[in-house]
Amino acid sequence: MDTIKFLWVVPFLPLCGAFLNLVLGKRLSRQTVHFVAVAAVAAAFFTSLYLVVGPLREGYAAWKANGKTGAFELTEYLWTWISAGDLHIDLAFRLDPLSSVMILIVTGCSTLIHIYSTGYMEHEPRYAAYFGYLNLFTGAMLILVLGANMPVMFIGWEGVGLCSFLLIGFWFENEAYATAGRKAFVVNRIGDFAFLLGMFLLWWATHGVDGGKSLDFSMLRHVGETNAAVYEQVFWGRERLAAAAGILLFIGACGKSAQLPLYVWLPDAMAGPTPVSALIHAATMVTAGVYMVARLSFLFAASTTAMAVVATVGALTALVAAFMAFAQTDLKKVLAYSTVSQLGFMFVGVGTGNWSAGVFHLMTHAFFKAGLFLGAGSVMHGMEGSGDIRIMGGLKRFMPKTRWTFLIYCLAIAGVPLTAGFFSKDEILAGAWASHHDGWPAFYGKLLWGVLTVAALGTAFYMWRLYFLVFEGEYRGADHVAHPHESPANMTVPLMILAGLALVAGFVGIPHVIHVGGTAGDILHFFPEWIGLSTKPMELHLSNGTTYVLLAVASAVGLAGIGLAYAFYGKGPSKTVDQLTAGPLHGLYEASKHKLWVDEFYDRAFVRPFRALARGTFEIADRFLIDTVVVNGAGFAVQTFSRISRWVQNGMVQRYLVGVVLGTAAIFLWTARSEHPTFSYKEVPGGIEFRAEPGHGLRSDTPVQWDFDGDGQPDPGETAQVVVKRPGDVASRVTLFMADPVWGKRDRDGKPKNLTRVTRKVQLATPAAGSDGGGR
Amino acid sequence: MSARTVTTLLIQLALGGLVAFALAGRAQAQPQQPVDAEARAQAQAQPIDPPRSSTPAGKGVSKRDQVQSPSAGAPATAAAQRTKGGLALAFWAFAALTVLGSVFVITRKNLVTAVMGMVGTFFALSALYMLLYAHFLAIIQMLVYAGAIMVLFVFVIMILNKPEDEPYAQSGKFGKGVAGVAMAYLLFRIGQVLIDVPSHLSAAQNAAPAKTAAGYDWGSTAAVGMNLFTDYLFPFEAVSLCLLIAVVGAIAIARPLKDDPSEPADAPGPAGAGGH
Amino acid sequence: MQSIFADVGFGHFLALGAVLFAIGVAGVLLRKNVLIIMMSIELMLNAANLTILTFARMHGDLGGHSFAMIVMAVAAAEVAVGLAIVVAIFRGRRHVDVDRLNLLKH
Repeated sequence: MDTIKFLWVVPFLPLCGAFLNLVLGKRLSRQTVHFVAVAAVAAAFFTSLYLVVGPLREGYAAWKANGKTGAFELTEYLWTWISAGDLHIDLAFRLDPLSSVMILIVTGCSTLIHIYSTGYMEHEPRYAAYFGYLNLFTGAMLILVLGANMPVMFIGWEGVGLCSFLLIGFWFENEAYATAGRKAFVVNRIGDFAFLLGMFLLWWATHGVDGGKSLDFSMLRHVGETNAAVYEQVFWGRERLAAAAGILLFIGACGKSAQLPLYVWLPDAMAGPTPVSALIHAATMVTAGVYMVARLSFLFAASTTAMAVVATVGALTALVAAFMAFAQTDLKKVLAYSTVSQLGFMFVGVGTGNWSAGVFHLMTHAFFKAGLFLGAGSVMHGMEGSGDIRIMGGLKRFMPKTRWTFLIYCLAIAGVPLTAGFFSKDEILAGAWASHHDGWPAFYGKLLWGVLTVAALGTAFYMWRLYFLVFEGEYRGADHVAHPHESPANMTVPLMILAGLALVAGFVGIPHVIHVGGTAGDILHFFPEWIGLSTKPMELHLSNGTTYVLLAVASAVGLAGIGLAYAFYGKGPSKTVDQLTAGPLHGLYEASKHKLWVDEFYDRAFVRPFRALARGTFEIADRFLIDTVVVNGAGFAVQTFSRISRWVQNGMVQRYLVGVVLGTAAIFLWTARSEHPTFSYKEVPGGIEFRAEPGHGLRSDTPVQWDFDGDGQPDPGETAQVVVKRPGDVASRVTLFMADPVWGKRDRDGKPKNLTRVTRKVQLATPAAGSDGGGR
Repeated sequence: MSARTVTTLLIQLALGGLVAFALAGRAQAQPQQPVDAEARAQAQAQPIDPPRSSTPAGKGVSKRDQVQSPSAGAPATAAAQRTKGGLALAFWAFAALTVLGSVFVITRKNLVTAVMGMVGTFFALSALYMLLYAHFLAIIQMLVYAGAIMVLFVFVIMILNKPEDEPYAQSGKFGKGVAGVAMAYLLFRIGQVLIDVPSHLSAAQNAAPAKTAAGYDWGSTAAVGMNLFTDYLFPFEAVSLCLLIAVVGAIAIARPLKDDPSEPADAPGPAGAGGH
Repeated sequence: MQSIFADVGFGHFLALGAVLFAIGVAGVLLRKNVLIIMMSIELMLNAANLTILTFARMHGDLGGHSFAMIVMAVAAAEVAVGLAIVVAIFRGRRHVDVDRLNLLKH
C-alpha cells in the first residue's frame, strides 16, 4: 500500500470555493463569485487528472513490476480523527482505480455544470449562495469517493445529503419546493440510519482484528480475505454477518440512490434548479450508493442473500420507474423517473457481481443523463421556465443546438448501437443473463435479464416520446411563450462536450467477444480491467454466441422502443394515443400517471399516522406537560416563592442586619452543640474500655477523674483519660469528672472550682458478670 | 437641649481629667521599669498566652506575686500594687466612659449630642489603648477619629441639620426583637469564655513589654513604623490606594450634578426652537 | 470589691470590646438616621480595634498595631464615601431616613 501526496487538495479546492462564496459572497460581484466557483472546481478537475495520469499511473507500473502483490491503491494519511479504545479512525484518502474514475466523473461533470449554471442562473438574486452550495456539494462528493474508510466516506455521504436538501429547497419561498427539500432529507435520513447501523455492525465484527484501522476499506478487504470467519459470524439464526451488514448498507444506498422503496424523494427533488438536478440527482450524488456497493464488493460477494436483495431491488426499480415515466407530462419528471430506472440498472450490475459494468453504466449515465437534464434546462430557459411538455413541440426550429445534443443523449440512453449507453447497458444485461450464485435459483439470472430488457424497451419508448413531444411536430405553446430562444454559449458548449462524451465514452469498455489486440485493444478493453483492480474478481461464463445474441437483442429492443415512440408520438400527440389511453389502456395509463399511487400509499401508511402521533404528543407533551405544567408551573412556583421572599428581600438595610446577627448566633449555637465533654465505653478483650472525650477545644492533658464504684465521688488513682476496667469492677452508672476551662467553674487563679461531671449508664451487650446492675 | 449640652461638657471635662490621671499613672510607673530589670526579664520568660494552662505550679500562689516578689522584694511589690490599682481604676473609669458615650450615640435624638458622646467614646478608647502600651495608636486614635472623622460628621450634620421626630426606625420590630435576643445570647457566650481568661495574667500585663529587636520601645511610633514599613508595606500601600479612591469617589458622589434635569438650564436654547 | 478594682486583665478589655460592638449593632438596628447608623458602624470598628490591640498586647506582636492602623485608614475611607452618599441622598430626597430609603424594594 503506497502513499500519495496532495490528494487532499482535490476535495479541499471546492470546499475553499464554498467557504469564500458562502461567507463573503454577498460582498463579491457576480463575476467574482462564478469565477471563484468555476476556478475551484476546474482546478480540482485538473488536479485529479494530474494525480491519475501521474502518481496513480506510476504507482500502477510499480505495482505491476512488483508482481501484482496485494491490492493496488494509493493512500494519504492526514491525521488521526478519532481514537477511543478499539476505535481508531484516521482522516485518510485513497486513490485507486475505482475512486480515480469517480473523481474524474465528479470533477468533470461538476466543472461543466458550473459553467452551465453561469448562464442558467444568470438572473438569480442569491447567486453566491447557489455557487457556494454547488461547490460545497462537489467537495463533499469528493470526500465521499476518496475516503479511505467508512466514517470518512460517511462525512461526504451526509455532506452531499445536506447540499441536496439545500439545493432542492433553494427557492424556499415556494412552499412546495421547501417541502420537497424536506422530503428528500427525511427519506435520506431513513437510509442513513440503516447505513450507520451497517457500519456499526461491521465495526463490531472486525474491531478485534483490524490492527488499529477501524472500518478502513483495505483493512475490511484484507480481513475478509485472510480471516473469512469474521464475516461469517452467526448473527440472526443461520444467516451470516455479511448479509446483515450488506443489507443494512444497501438500505442506506436505497435512500441515497433512490431505489425502491425509498425512491419517492427523487421526483420531487426536481423542484431544485435544473443544473442541480443534472449534477446531484443524475450524475453524481445518486450514484453514491452504486459506488458504495462496488467499493464494498468483497463484503457483498460474501453473501449471496445480500447480492440477491441488491439485484432484485435494482431490477424492480428499473421496471417500475420506467413504467411511471410513461405518462408524465413534466419534462424533468420524466427524466427523474428515468434516472431512478437507470440507477436500478446499475444496481442489477453490481448485484450480479458485475462490478465494472455497474460502474461503467454509472459513468456513461453520468454523461448522457447530465446532458439530458442540461438540455431540459436549456429548453426551459428558452420556454421562460416552463417544463410542461404539452405546450412544447417543434422546438427544433428555435433551438437547434439543444435539439441535436438532446437527440444524441436520447440515442445513448435508448441503447442504440455504438453509443455509450449501448455498451454499458449491454454489459449489465449480459452479466445478469450469465449470473449464477450459490443458492440462487438457476433461472434467476435469466429472470433479471428479462425484467431489465422490458425496462430497457420502456426506457427507449419514454425517452423518445419525450424527444418527439418536445422537438418534433408543431409548436403548441404559442399562447404561453411566443418566441422560444436558443440558450447562450456558456450553456450550449457544456451540452456539446457532454454529447461528445455520450457518443464516445462507451469505447473504453467494449465487450470482450469483440477482441481487439495491441494498444487499441488496451484502450477498448480498458475499463473493466481497470475497475477490476479495485473490486472482487468475478468470472462471467458466457459463450461467444450467446453474447452476440444478447447484443443483438439489446440493439433490437432499443430500436423497437424508438420505433414504438415514433409510431405514437412521431408527429406530436396523436388521436391514436388518446383513444388508447381512454380505452383499453386506461387503467395502465392512470396507474402510470399517478405513479402507482405510491405517494398516496406512503401518505396513508406513514405520513398521516406519524402526523397523528406528532399531534398527540404535541397535545400531551407540549400543550399539557410543557406549557401547562412546566412553564406555567414554573411561573407559579416563582411567583409564590417571590411572594414569600419579598418579605425577606425588602430593601430595608436594617432587616438585613437582623439576618446577619441571627446567622452569627446560629453559628455559635451550632458549634456549641458538640462542645460538652463526655466519655465513651466499649468492650475490649480483658474488660471495658472507658475513653474520655473532652469535646471541642480541650487539650489531651486535661486532668480527669473517674467514679467507677457508683458512690458519686472520684475514685482515687483513676486519672487516666483511657481506662480499662474489668466488668465486675464497674457499677451501672459511671461518672467522669474533668477540669473544663470553658464549661467548668474556676476560681480566679484558673484552678477548677467545681469539676464538670458527666454521668452515663453503662449497658453492655453481654450482661456484665457480677455487676450489681440489676438493682439500679 | 441646653441641659444635654451641659451634660456633654461635664462628660468632656471628666474625660479630660481621667486622661490626665492615666497619663500621670503611666509616668509614675514608667521610671520603675529600669530598676525592675530582672523582674522584667522574668516576665518575658513567662509564657504570655496560655489562658488555659492550669499548671500545678500556678496553684495556690498568685502569679503576679510569683513574678514580682523573688527579685525586687517587698517595696517593689508594694509600688507595683499601687500602680496596678491605679491602672485598674483607670480601666474601669474609661470603660465606663466608653460604654456611656456609645450609649449616648445610639439613644440621643439630637445629632450633636450623639456626636459628642462619640467623641467621648473615642477619647476613652484612646486612653485604653495607652493602658495596652499602644501609645502611638492612642495618639492616632485621637487625631484621626476625634480630630478628623468626627469633624467630618459635624460638618455633615450642619449641612443636613434636620431634627427628627421619631429617632427609632419602626420597621421590622419583631425581627429586631429576635435580633436583640440573639445579640444577648452572643454576649452571654463571649462573656462565658472571657470571664475566666484574664485574672491570673494581670502580672504579665502590668509589666511593660520588652523592646523590639531594633531597640525601640514596644508600641512607640518608631516600633510601629518599623513594623508597618517592613512587614506590612504592601497592605500599607494598598490602603493608601484605597484612600485615594475613596477621596476621588467621595468628590464624584457629593459633587452637584451638572446636567440635573430638575434644575433650569443655564443657557436657554435658540429662540423659537421647539424644545427638545 | 478590692479585687475587682485591683485585678484587671485582658479579658476585661475583650469583654469591653464585645459590649462596644453590641452597642454598635444595636445602633445600626434601631436608629433610622443614616448618620447615627454610620456612627454606630464606627463604634463597631473601634470595638474591633480594641480587640486587635488587646491581642497584640497579649501575644507581644506589633503586627496588631499595624493592622489597627489599616483599619483606621479603611474606616476613614468608608466615612468619606459614606458621608458623600448621605449628602447626595439628602440633596435628592431632603431626608436621610432609612425607613423611607426603600427604592430597591419597588
